[in-house]
Formats: sequence, C-alpha cells, structure tokens
Amino acid sequence: MRGNRDTSNASRRQRWAWALQIFIVLLLLWIMLNGLAQLWAGLIAALAGAAIGAWLASGQPHPWKPHRLLAFAGFFLWESLKGGIDVAWRAFHPKLPIQPGFTSYRMALPAGQPRTLMVSTVSLLPGTLSADLDDSGEMLEVHGLTPDAMDSVFRLEAWITWLFSLDR
Amino acid sequence: MSMGDTSLVEWIATSLLVLGALFYLAGTVGLLRFPDVHCRLHALTKADNLGLLLVCAGLGLLACDWQVAALLGTIWLLGLLAATVSAHLIARHACRDHSATSSRTGSA
Repeated sequence: MRGNRDTSNASRRQRWAWALQIFIVLLLLWIMLNGLAQLWAGLIAALAGAAIGAWLASGQPHPWKPHRLLAFAGFFLWESLKGGIDVAWRAFHPKLPIQPGFTSYRMALPAGQPRTLMVSTVSLLPGTLSADLDDSGEMLEVHGLTPDAMDSVFRLEAWITWLFSLDR
Repeated sequence: MSMGDTSLVEWIATSLLVLGALFYLAGTVGLLRFPDVHCRLHALTKADNLGLLLVCAGLGLLACDWQVAALLGTIWLLGLLAATVSAHLIARHACRDHSATSSRTGSA
C-alpha cells in the first residue's frame, strides 16, 4: 500500500493531466468542425467539457503520453491494415481457411481507460474479436479466427501498458 | 506541370477508392460465407473499417483541404468506435444467448 497523501497527490495530478488532454482533443475537434472563427465559443465549450469530463468521471484517470499515442496510432493503423487484408483474404479464399475458437484472457490492465481501450481495439486486430467480458471486467472472452490470432492480443496489451505508462 | 500533378493525385485517390470498395465487398462476402455470428463479425469490423479508411483517404486526397481531411479522419475514428462497440455487443449477446440456450437444453 502506498501512503494515502502520496496517492491523492498523484491522482490529483493525473486528473489535471486528463483534463488538459480532454481540453486539447475537444478544442481540436471544434477547430476541425468550425474553423478558427468564433474560437472563443470553442474555448469555453472545450473548457467546460474538460472540467466535466475530468471531475465528474468516476474512477482513476490514466493520462497518456502524447508521443506514445502517436506511436500507438501507427501500431494500430498497421494492425488494422493487416487485419483487414487477412480477413478479406480468408473471405475470398475458396476453401475458407478459418479455425474459429474462443480463448479466455485475463487482462492485467487496470479498470478505466486502459481496459476500455483494450476491449475496443481487440476487435480491430487481425483475427481477434472481443466477444464477452465477465462481471469483474477482467476476463475477456476473445474469439479468434485462427488459433494463433492470440499473439496480437499480447502485443496489444503491452502497447497499452506502455501508452498509459503503467510499466513501473 | 500542374495538370500532370492533378492527374497523379486523382489516379492515386481513385485507386484508394476502388481498393476501399473492394474491402467493403470482402466484408460482405465474409458476412455471407462465414459460418456463424462471431466469424461474420470479424469480416464486418475489420474489412469494412479498412474499406472506410481507404475511402476516407481517397476523398481526403481529392478534397486537398486540411479541414476536410481532418474531418474525414474523425469520421473514420467514429466509424471505428461504432463498429467495435456494436461488434462487441452483438458478440456478447450471441455468447450469452448461446450459453443460455445450451444450459436450457442441457437441463431438459
């Protein structure tokens, strides 16, 4: 167990970092949709959204490192390219080369954004689909098109651990 | 010179659009050919998302405008989100429905 004050300080800092990240994302979205005209309205809306998002959200926020998000986006883009090509090839193949099956996978990631990101991106990796989640939210039922598809799940978890700096 | 550039960009954009349509076709073929709900979801999520990415990339190239390109990128991300969430929900429902049915037939 860590010291109580230590934890609360760290968590407050993380909440601020999380608010800043939501603010930047919302502001970029505003600029994309509306251009630079009437930026003041966008600033207010983004500030309000960030404040609400960061302080009303339950659980512990897990801020990401921007440069790591960029690398993760590259990994994700490459994997979704492979995933699309893989499944398209199997769909067109006369013999339909699939050996589907389920695998239970216990996620080491903490609840909140890391686990949510994991569950939602598993389905876009080559050959895997997040099929079910148990009530504890830890056991992920993964449906694989082939027996060796689980490899990409391990790599995904390592990437997400790195993205949120959980590898202490 | 400018005409040559334009036609090259248009050529690349058209290839991206055609390739994207091909992946949509693959997703539909998978939907028809794969044996069960879960396998079909694989085809729908992954092939269609790559199709959407390629179509968005082609349109972004044709638009030649950073704002439109950024919007298309956002559309792709929202499409991903919708696809992955709905795929998970359908897959989960299929799992639970199936286990409920098999336990019912097992006890009967």
